[in-house]
Amino acid sequence: MKPNAMIELNKVSKHYDGTIAVDSVDLSIKQGDFCVLVGTSGCGKSTTLRMINRLISHTKGQIMIEGQEIMSFDPQSLRRRIGYAIQNTGLFPHWDVARNIGTVPKLLGWPKHKIQARIEELLELLNLPYSSFAHKYPSELSGGQAQRVGVARALAGDPDILLMDEPFGALDPITRESLQQELLRIQQQIHKTIVFVTHDMDEALKLANHIVVMDQGRIVQQATPYELLLNPANSFVSQLLGGEDRGLKQAGLMHVADFMKTNRTMTPSDHQLAQIKPDDSLRLALSVMLWHQQEQLIVMDDNHCVGEISLQQIIQAKPYADHHG
Amino acid sequence: MFWLTCLLVATFGFVHLEELFAQISPTQRQVIYSRDSFLALLLNHIYLVSIAAIISICVGVISAIFVTRSYGKEFLPLVSQVASMGQTFPPIAVLALSVPLLGFGTLPTILALTLYGLLPIVRNTLAGIQGVNPAVLESAKGMGMSSIQVLWRVELPLSSTVILSGIRTSITINIATAAIGSTIGASTLGDPVISGLVNGNTAYVIQGAILIGLLALTTDSFLERLQQKLIVKHSLM
Ligand SMILES: Nc1ncnc2c1ncn2[C@@H]1O[C@H](COP(=O)(O)OP(=O)(O)OP(=O)(O)O)[C@@H](O)[C@H]1O
Ligand SMILES: [Mg+2]
Repeated sequence: MKPNAMIELNKVSKHYDGTIAVDSVDLSIKQGDFCVLVGTSGCGKSTTLRMINRLISHTKGQIMIEGQEIMSFDPQSLRRRIGYAIQNTGLFPHWDVARNIGTVPKLLGWPKHKIQARIEELLELLNLPYSSFAHKYPSELSGGQAQRVGVARALAGDPDILLMDEPFGALDPITRESLQQELLRIQQQIHKTIVFVTHDMDEALKLANHIVVMDQGRIVQQATPYELLLNPANSFVSQLLGGEDRGLKQAGLMHVADFMKTNRTMTPSDHQLAQIKPDDSLRLALSVMLWHQQEQLIVMDDNHCVGEISLQQIIQAKPYADHHG
Repeated sequence: MFWLTCLLVATFGFVHLEELFAQISPTQRQVIYSRDSFLALLLNHIYLVSIAAIISICVGVISAIFVTRSYGKEFLPLVSQVASMGQTFPPIAVLALSVPLLGFGTLPTILALTLYGLLPIVRNTLAGIQGVNPAVLESAKGMGMSSIQVLWRVELPLSSTVILSGIRTSITINIATAAIGSTIGASTLGDPVISGLVNGNTAYVIQGAILIGLLALTTDSFLERLQQKLIVKHSLM
């Protein structure tokens, strides 16, 4: 057992009479990891997640949090230490946004002013202005806003661990995309240990630094997004990765800034070239090239030319091994 | 408020309407029921219904809560079946059955009212609690609420309007049902009705019926207001 593991599963199984939902899973999640469990429907992702906060009790094996077996904790105090966000938000419809967010702090017995400060802080973190949202009821929120409140509520007790079960599963692609970006931004600020469940491989590739692919209750492969793309363990994983679409998925994880030719000054003919930003993905660069039928783009950062990138460079781009998406 | 005013006016005013009622029952010597004052009958009627309501609310809500807990699950089918079946049982039958057990008078009437009033309360409490969104329950548990906290902070508030409407039905039905208590010797607003029917005195029947109707309307509109307040307070769905 690695001592720095935040969450550790040793040969964990969950049996229901007749079915084996989770089958002897070994998993070690480090402090600060963004671990995504991905797989097709019914493969045991939610079950695995919910065993960690004891919403489901495991049949066999050991689950440790910071080196301590979870059965040694009182389930309620364990759950108050672990943030939990789910697909349909589960916001309390009879409480306003502020009270929803304050749920866990209140259970933890924080003083009123501290809860209030925490609510304000979290609404700001999730780009929900206090004055317009704190006193709204869940029925008055859009799906995206409700999900933000769900994430804020999960973070409220300042837990070390955040469990998220398809939190963005019910959102339209654009809202989903912006919430993914926001979650990444938030994670860079707060460095929680996140376990995130999705059946969407693109979402997994984008968010995770540790992807766990599950099938029929077992872990098929676990790796960083790049390793997974480069060496899928079997045909199931490569199918999940979209087969031949893999090239584009990989390009979607690499940034223009890391492959462009720098030290370039503007020449008059550049005005005919299409532009791209350094933190855009190679996938986007490729799409821009196809659209404009050009093999070369100039890279612009805040109206300054910072470099150029060519089709050749994109094709030869090798993924850096230990990158966080 | 309107119905309450009507009720009070009728209770105290019937005595002064001798001429009007004399037209309804011209052959009768006495046209205003006077064995008891209307006020005394009204208060006793309210008393019977309230006692029965308090008991059936306590028993009904508690048993519905019990069978929706994990440890009471086995009784759920039984209780919900009884609750839905009981509604088809006529109240007079309950009354008839309770006489051999408790004799005549107030007690068997309260028993019958309690049993009869129990059913809508159990049914609605069950429906209310079972209607709470499972995602809400899951997140309540997942955030570390104890089962008591889930019940008090989530399940009961979210089902309160449905429970209250069950209570409203129960009480309104029982205000009418309580009148039948007069047949087994309880003193209620049913007294003038029964006595009027027995003696062919239509005026008595009308007096009793009007008071019962007004009491039911007053109570119902009061409970409806309470329900509205609750809905606004929770600004639900
Ligand atoms: N209470 C239960 N009783 C019996 N079997 C169950 C129970 N809960 C889950 N299962 C089974 O366990 C397996 C794993 O379920 P789980 O909910 O973990 O899947 P999942 O990967 O989260 O799927 P999805 O993407 O559809 O949410 C499924 O085959 C399911 O049918
Ligand atoms: Mg699931």
